[in-house]
Amino acid sequence: MEALRDSGIDELLALCGGCCSCATCHVRVGADFIDRLPAMSDDEDDLLDSSEHRTPESRLSCQIVISDELAGLVVEIAPED
Amino acid sequence: MATNLEESLRAKASRPANVPADRVHEIDMYALDGIDEGYHEAWKKVHRPGMPNLIWTPFTGGHWIATNGETVKEVYSDPSRFSSEVIFLPKEAGEKYQMVPTRMDPPEHTPYRKSLDKSLNLGRIRKVEAKVREVAAGLIDNFADKGECDFAAEYAGVFPVHVFMALADLPLEDVPLLSVFARQMTRPEGNTPEEMAADLEAGNNGFYAYVDPIIRARTGGSGEDLITQMVNTEINGKPIDHDKAQGLISLLLLGGLDTVVNFLSFFMIHLAKHPDVVAELRSDPLVLMRGVEEMFRRFPVVSEARMVAKDIDYDGVTLKRGDMILLPTALHGLDETLNPEPWKLDLSRRGISHSTFGGGPHRCAGMHLARMEVIVTLEEWLKRIPEFSLAPDARPTYHSGIVAAVENVPLVWSVDR
Repeated sequence: MEALRDSGIDELLALCGGCCSCATCHVRVGADFIDRLPAMSDDEDDLLDSSEHRTPESRLSCQIVISDELAGLVVEIAPED
Repeated sequence: MATNLEESLRAKASRPANVPADRVHEIDMYALDGIDEGYHEAWKKVHRPGMPNLIWTPFTGGHWIATNGETVKEVYSDPSRFSSEVIFLPKEAGEKYQMVPTRMDPPEHTPYRKSLDKSLNLGRIRKVEAKVREVAAGLIDNFADKGECDFAAEYAGVFPVHVFMALADLPLEDVPLLSVFARQMTRPEGNTPEEMAADLEAGNNGFYAYVDPIIRARTGGSGEDLITQMVNTEINGKPIDHDKAQGLISLLLLGGLDTVVNFLSFFMIHLAKHPDVVAELRSDPLVLMRGVEEMFRRFPVVSEARMVAKDIDYDGVTLKRGDMILLPTALHGLDETLNPEPWKLDLSRRGISHSTFGGGPHRCAGMHLARMEVIVTLEEWLKRIPEFSLAPDARPTYHSGIVAAVENVPLVWSVDR
């Protein structure tokens, strides 16, 4: 989330700054990376559940911590609810 | 409002066998030491070197207090050890509280929560933004050209309430009555747990009686308002029971009438003293939108409790089933080990840590509405009143309780534009 926000991608509002409470950093993660991400918390799952645009590839980007293992990760910003 | 809380009259419980003497600190959540200087300032006095994670106070029926962010968060997050069976203090009053589903633990809680989320999720809240903005703009226009207002009385106490009554399709004439019920529940009056329980019960019964005919009238209806959506919701495949619907709708009213109201005044007092932060908010719409979370961190207003679900050892003490633990969210947002320089409202702060919306399965269902109300307030306010300050003789009056309150917030600004 911070990587996206800091590079000036303002379409990603990310209002709560990483508190996992606003659901405005919803992205879709490429299928080859989705299994490499940390497990989803109940909070994240509940927030995504309330989005009309949730898919199996959906994550809140504030819950994805960038690491070497994720080099090459491509995400698509989900449409706004 | 609870006033004149003479310490000599305040009932104290005797120390139970499981509470070590060195954990006892006399903290009265309804009459905090130093409250005259500010609610957050008063709670923050608990943060002293060597303070254990859990302390015990004989006031308010006798209860534990979580003293830092990690502990507040952990207790909120684990319903298997820390139940929502009772959530308001004193416990005698909390047992009279009948709102739904705040006193349920999962899995009973889950279907009620899903129903709330369906009506209050981000997508639904965005659909009402225009209406919310209209209410905010209308209120500010009432006094923008006068150069002064009592922000608490003329805006904060009115705006979230008007928004909520519009979303629930209820008449504004009912607001004074409902505000009394809300005060009875979140700052019940009395010097003993029994007196406070009686006041809280009166508030709870007041809400129940108020919503009863409204629920009956809207059951089976097709309106778009929040109440019609809620009363026609299904719980585990069956229509919601009438008494559960009363608790659910009452909770909506309670949540919508007392929390954002007080939060708005707390941050406006701060902004009135910090023109540099106001300038930063004006500089960029995104800075404003993204800065609101830092305000939630800096000005938490809620102190609820959890009940120990079973005898456990925790933080070096034995907690007995039924013991109560108060979770002052102020002690999370203002915890310098999680948020360096906690008094500073830093709009570019990273890694914000707070429990202002609670946590775990009961995290505030209204948080999307709250966030939007704050953003809209700031946007509409700064468009009309870009610079403002506290009146020179301003003396805000603070009250502590389950929800903190502040009155007397006179703001002034120049109208020579």
